[in-house]
Amino acid sequence: MSKPHYDREHHAKKATGIGDPQCFKGEAGKARFKVGDRVRVRNLPDVFYTRCQVYTRGAVGTVTELVYESPAAEDEAWDNTDKPEWFYSVVFRQKELWPEYPDLYAEDTLESEFSERWLEPA
Amino acid sequence: MTTADIGDVDMGRGLDTTPIPLLEQIRSQGRVWEDLAAQYGVTNPDPPWKVNLEGICDALSAEAYALPVLERRYEEDELSEDLYADVPYPERQLLALAHSLIRRGVVDEAELETRMKQVHERLTRI
Amino acid sequence: MSEHKAAPMVDEVSDFEVLEMAVRELAIEKGLFSAEDHRRWTEYIHTLGPLPAARLVAKAWLDPEYRKLAVRDGVKASLEVGVDWINDMPTHFGTPSDYCNLRVLEDTPKVKHVVVCTLCSCYPRPILGQSPEWYRTPNYRRRLVRWPRQVLAEFGLQLPADVEIRVADSNQKTRYIVMPVRPEGTDGWSEEQLAEIVTRDCLIGVAVPKPGVTANALRPVHPAVHPVQHGHDHG
Repeated sequence: MSKPHYDREHHAKKATGIGDPQCFKGEAGKARFKVGDRVRVRNLPDVFYTRCQVYTRGAVGTVTELVYESPAAEDEAWDNTDKPEWFYSVVFRQKELWPEYPDLYAEDTLESEFSERWLEPA
Repeated sequence: MTTADIGDVDMGRGLDTTPIPLLEQIRSQGRVWEDLAAQYGVTNPDPPWKVNLEGICDALSAEAYALPVLERRYEEDELSEDLYADVPYPERQLLALAHSLIRRGVVDEAELETRMKQVHERLTRI
Repeated sequence: MSEHKAAPMVDEVSDFEVLEMAVRELAIEKGLFSAEDHRRWTEYIHTLGPLPAARLVAKAWLDPEYRKLAVRDGVKASLEVGVDWINDMPTHFGTPSDYCNLRVLEDTPKVKHVVVCTLCSCYPRPILGQSPEWYRTPNYRRRLVRWPRQVLAEFGLQLPADVEIRVADSNQKTRYIVMPVRPEGTDGWSEEQLAEIVTRDCLIGVAVPKPGVTANALRPVHPAVHPVQHGHDHG
């Protein structure tokens, strides 16, 4: 398998003095989801370099923030930075993630970030 | 639910965790900072080279080609739980890094051994 | 005239010291990075520590407007404690591990945050310094998301059942610090006094600030209550 090629100079030109992920602001277009939406984590086929945690697959949570725009981690690893996506912070009830989580602690939650491709409406 | 469900996507495919003779020698004979600091009464919790090691990891992640961050960390986890489990923290991280680089063919075990001899000579020269 | 004793020094060269240097030299010779790059990264790392984050929290406790800024825009709030997530780093666009998106997680009497990175132990280094060993271990990373109450109890922190424990997994570009609830017994304290009790462990979320406690507790390694078992189906 060929290794990813990381174009440092291109990224540096774009992001210097601006920041990453700030440098991708405005490039993702219209966000599909908004704060308060209920979303389900899609179970896309496992790919090398994914940052979407397996323990969240199939779980339903609530969007709490539209955090930034950026290439998805799965693309960025291969230097495909042409199509940034919106990233969302999603909160799940722990009971939703772990069926054996004690009922006594039903309030407990977990928050994690997802790029848009990993989410679908619940 | 297995440990894999917690989130370890299989990024270790191809990681060879069999011991590397040079690193095994260092592991068994090398003096770790915990012991050195105790012996000499030095209170700094970290060896002076720890920052240099961190600098290597940062420089490598900026370069992002020879040993990408997620792979390096995954391999470090694998090696830390298995082969180098009995080694204290910064030494463990260093051995894991060397192991990864050797297994990827970035650094050759023989040339590393030669270089170590030269460095040692340089550092202990009066 | 008093006698000045030289600070103790380790007077021998260890194999590990030699290994680090040898690896670094070979990496540079093979063009993985330059000596200059390496120097700039290590110089940057030398500047890092937990004090700026502690000051951010102390300032937020004292100033309601700054508190709102910290929660709304962590990167901007960081500037006021001397941390520039974008420009301080050798790259001038954030580091490849830390990026430039700090979020400050505000605890309330009803919500306690605690931070982890299950994938690789990402950590808000620019404002908090290098991560502690326990934070990097698979033991912490795998268990905190699933058994947070047990892991926190091991850290000596137990919370009532009606308090929501929210685990934040920094699996993408955001880095988190926790803004704990200001404890009782700190009325009239200065920013400095308050910052002193906001330890690194409080900023990660595994401890809460207490008057008189200015150091992180020692973390003895002991077997997990729920050990992670490879290949075992928990069902």
